[in-house]
Amino acid sequence: MRSILSMFAQSPFKPLTGHIEKVRACIKLIEPLFKAQQAMDYAGILDISEKIIRFEHEADIIKDQIRSQISKTIFLPVDKRDFDRLLSVQDDMADAVEDLAVLMRIKNLITPEPVITVLNKLVDHVVENALKSCDLICELETLLEASFGGKEAEIIERGSRELAHAEWESDKIQFTLAQKLFALEEPLLAADLLLWNEVNKKLGGVSDKAEMIGKVLRIFISK
Amino acid sequence: MDLNTFLLGFAILACVYMACNIGANDVANAMGTSVGSKALTFRQAVMVAAVAEFLGAVLVGGHVSDTVRKGMLDPNIFTDQPLHLVYGMIAALVASAIWLHLASYLGWPVSTTHAVVGAIVGFGVIAGGADAINWVKMSKIVASWFISPAMGAVVAYFMFRFISSQILETRNPLLNAIRVVPYLVFLVLLILANAMIYKGLKNLSLDLSFLESLLIASGVGMAGFVLTKLLISRMKMVPSQNIAEQYAATEKIFKFLQIFTAFYVAFAHGSNDVANAVGPLAAVVATLQNGAIESKVIMPLWILLLGGTGIVFGLMIWGSKVMETIGKKITEITPSRGFCAEFAAATVVLVCSKMGLPISTTHTLVGSVIGVGMARGLASLNIGIIKVIFVSWVATVPFTAVLAMIIYKLFTFVLP
Repeated sequence: MRSILSMFAQSPFKPLTGHIEKVRACIKLIEPLFKAQQAMDYAGILDISEKIIRFEHEADIIKDQIRSQISKTIFLPVDKRDFDRLLSVQDDMADAVEDLAVLMRIKNLITPEPVITVLNKLVDHVVENALKSCDLICELETLLEASFGGKEAEIIERGSRELAHAEWESDKIQFTLAQKLFALEEPLLAADLLLWNEVNKKLGGVSDKAEMIGKVLRIFISK
Repeated sequence: MDLNTFLLGFAILACVYMACNIGANDVANAMGTSVGSKALTFRQAVMVAAVAEFLGAVLVGGHVSDTVRKGMLDPNIFTDQPLHLVYGMIAALVASAIWLHLASYLGWPVSTTHAVVGAIVGFGVIAGGADAINWVKMSKIVASWFISPAMGAVVAYFMFRFISSQILETRNPLLNAIRVVPYLVFLVLLILANAMIYKGLKNLSLDLSFLESLLIASGVGMAGFVLTKLLISRMKMVPSQNIAEQYAATEKIFKFLQIFTAFYVAFAHGSNDVANAVGPLAAVVATLQNGAIESKVIMPLWILLLGGTGIVFGLMIWGSKVMETIGKKITEITPSRGFCAEFAAATVVLVCSKMGLPISTTHTLVGSVIGVGMARGLASLNIGIIKVIFVSWVATVPFTAVLAMIIYKLFTFVLP
């Protein structure tokens, strides 16, 4: 390529935003999933989980495309390993949502009455923060323009701190939910309890991934 | 037709052909960052380049042309057979042109400068042995081939850090851009105007002292400063809340600035690369006119004009096509980054032109872009091109040297 423009490789940061939009699509389906569960709309659960699986698959495709773009000869304004870490974490978040959907499909569960309020609180909390982490990724373009400094860096730092705090909060709600779950008496089956416990842990997992996204973004800025 | 006229005509044709090649291929690289960032459309780039390349060639092109025509070889090796210098210089032009076409076909980003210098060294060595080459000058030239991209990187790095800390990383980038950019316009115009006036207008017998030309250049700079301030203050203010919008508006201001640096780069390029076509021709003309090797003869204006015209011709007829291809590509380079790379490259090239050092504008630009990348200014950079450039370096000089040797020997066998 005789032209100097062969130096300007395609930015892998743009597709990163495309990837997070697929993740966002998965996360937006969490609330409908639990609503269907509580309405005992088991056909609806199947339907929604199919959608989640499809979005997660599309995210995987984008992830692979991005990975193939990061060739040996590309130079990024951030450490390539940190970039890959961010991509992995984003993808892990989508995977966690998919796992959640699969769990809900294993058996036609009934949501125990005492647990509903706390469960919904956890779901709201987790979804809100996961969406926030997606918003932060969308700020990456501006962060690049700002050369990783200035007001944009502050926005991301603040967002990251909020996500860390939110993860701590979601841990607390998770604990409360676990307490309520294990305090339940008959007629809850052991199998159901196991499944609900897994669901609880998975929701917490989504929150963890959201926090991780914030952490890696802060690494981008500090290095 | 006698031999001398034939040789002169042939040399002129070869020179024009080389100049057209430079215009058709090299200029697109010089304007690449402006067209890539959408600061200029490819048509506007052609217009700007046409004027700037011509001025650069004519006003400042003399120093490097002098080096190419007489700075590299010991003039005494041809005292017995002055026509052999003519043969050699024509051979150099022909060899370089062949190499450029071949490289173009292979898709290699080669430097016209390296090609011509290599060719001249080639026939010089075969004409008079190793002593025929002015190795002191040659070592300076080769050193400058390494130093110019490095300096481009350094200057671009610091320029980007400057605009980063003064504009991009501030609480209100738009406000600071409006404040700082007029000064940058002043700086660019100051350097540019000074380069044109100081010793530049000597060809037009306007010899001004450094201070006088600096004063006039400052005047030009001030005019640019005022013009920029007027145009920019018309911009709508964006509240500092909408940071993304602010950056979009800031980049618009840098687009305006890039118009100046686009001109600057094309000017610098013309000042350095015209020598590749014109230097050998000037040697031919001097020899044929005086029948002997004259080293004190000044560069005739008409030769620089011929070179400048050839570059513009090549640019407009064939170069537009290449620029159009560049214009169609989507690049991630933004005007603020483009400005830094261009300013750095143009400054380094211009300094080398004033010092009479023939360097590669393309490679200096590559160095500058890398400098911006090192300062975290670019979203991604394909540094695989460094290896390609290095390979083309290593390939060009020996190839054109050997080819020039062969053609030279051919001439000396066939002609008296």
